[in-house]
Amino acid sequence: MVKLSEGRPVYVVGVGMHKYQFVSDTLYIDMGLTAVRAALRDAGIAFPEVESAYIGCTGIGMAAGRIMFHHLGSTGLACTQVENASASGSSAFQMAVHEVALGRRDVALAVGVDKHGDQVRAVSKEAVNRLSDTAAIPLVKYALMAEHLGKEKGLTGEDLALVASKNHTNASKNPFAQFQKPRSVEQVLAANRVAGTTTSLMCCPRGEGAAAAIVCSEAAIRRLGITAEPIRVTASALQSEKPQRGREIPSVTLAQEVTEKVYAEAGITAADLDCVELHDAFAIEEILYTETFGLAPKGEGQHFLRSGGSAIGGACCVNSSGGLIGQGHPLGPTGLGQVHELVNQLRGRNGARQQPDAKIGMAHMIGLGSIAIAHILQKEV
Amino acid sequence: MDLEKPDLYSVSPDGRTLILRAGRCADCGGLSFPLTRYGCPKCGAKPEAVSEEALDGTATLLTFLTLHTKLTPTLPVPLVVGEAEIAPGMIEEIMLLGGEDQYRDGMTVRAVPVEITKGDATVIACRFAPVEG
Repeated sequence: MVKLSEGRPVYVVGVGMHKYQFVSDTLYIDMGLTAVRAALRDAGIAFPEVESAYIGCTGIGMAAGRIMFHHLGSTGLACTQVENASASGSSAFQMAVHEVALGRRDVALAVGVDKHGDQVRAVSKEAVNRLSDTAAIPLVKYALMAEHLGKEKGLTGEDLALVASKNHTNASKNPFAQFQKPRSVEQVLAANRVAGTTTSLMCCPRGEGAAAAIVCSEAAIRRLGITAEPIRVTASALQSEKPQRGREIPSVTLAQEVTEKVYAEAGITAADLDCVELHDAFAIEEILYTETFGLAPKGEGQHFLRSGGSAIGGACCVNSSGGLIGQGHPLGPTGLGQVHELVNQLRGRNGARQQPDAKIGMAHMIGLGSIAIAHILQKEV
Repeated sequence: MDLEKPDLYSVSPDGRTLILRAGRCADCGGLSFPLTRYGCPKCGAKPEAVSEEALDGTATLLTFLTLHTKLTPTLPVPLVVGEAEIAPGMIEEIMLLGGEDQYRDGMTVRAVPVEITKGDATVIACRFAPVEG
């Protein structure tokens, strides 16, 4: 298999967002255009320079990108809509990166934009029943894992609340985040109980928003005179799950497999990571993934959390944006919102959420089904 | 009375328990649940290669919790759900009968028929309950 490093170097040169928010009357086109224009401004280029675009969305309907781009000028750019559940934006980003790496385009745009759609899932059309009516609800699967780990290794409700408190507090410093209030552990624990020890503040909200990233080649940076600091994408991997082995949640095993692939492709180890944006749809996931990513030893994710290892300023800050729990999870944009956060971290312009001396970051998403996707972004030194 | 999910189970001859409908693949020997129209999920063999195999409906309860919030319009709460091993290495999410106080990790539970109302009809649903004794 060809590695990303064997293709042309690919750089993120511009990122932009529209704030994630609760369901509103805002049109998706307004949100998408806000994010795209911000990314163009950040890169210092005009829309006609963009040769292709990938649009990640799940709930808007067919041809969302083409309709949106019409309002930026019909330049004839290649335009492809990407649906990969929660990983739609990440997958759009991967396709844009691959296209530039292959040399087929010099400048590509990935944009995620979404409204809260009808939520129809293909699994409902499979015509296969399950013993439990909750079998296709990820929250229940992860809440059961939290219960199991509570008994198995002393994971507590306070640990889950600490993840949520950290991420809500990070989000309170992020103007693009859906939640804007810092939350204490006590507040998280006192929120509505959803399943077992999991409370509503330990779960991501649903909402809407947009995020965009422009990637390009070295040739384009020179030709277009781009002066924005380029952040290189050094690895990209996507896989789908295999049958469950024992008590392991397939998506967790899968997360380990994709991170091993991107570490190998980028030539790094977990110890090299300064900042990670990961799929924390539910608080238990962050503890599990810090272990599977190698940020904490197996079984010690909660100790890494408690010691501040995942806090801003810790060994590797996790979800400085607020993550899915705090920044929000509008599906289509979520993975690109992660790229937005990492690029700002690696450029050293993340304000109150800046991880000191950040050079390498990883973005990780899970898409329903499940698939896992990860990217490594690096500051050129 | 109709079964809520006839593709998953049938009622045992004595009417007290449910028999789960699994599939056994003639090509790879793999056991799968539920039995579907699509073939063997282990090796991809065509449906003709998969024959029905009955599971007795007993399972080892691995974890459980109480759902407090209505996650779908049709899901009543509070509801106890869990993960159980219904055959060696085969873990499924299940719905448990009654409150969580009667359950503990590692105990044996059994699929039992329970009458529920679905729309305007009463149907036989599958819930798991502790094995007495």
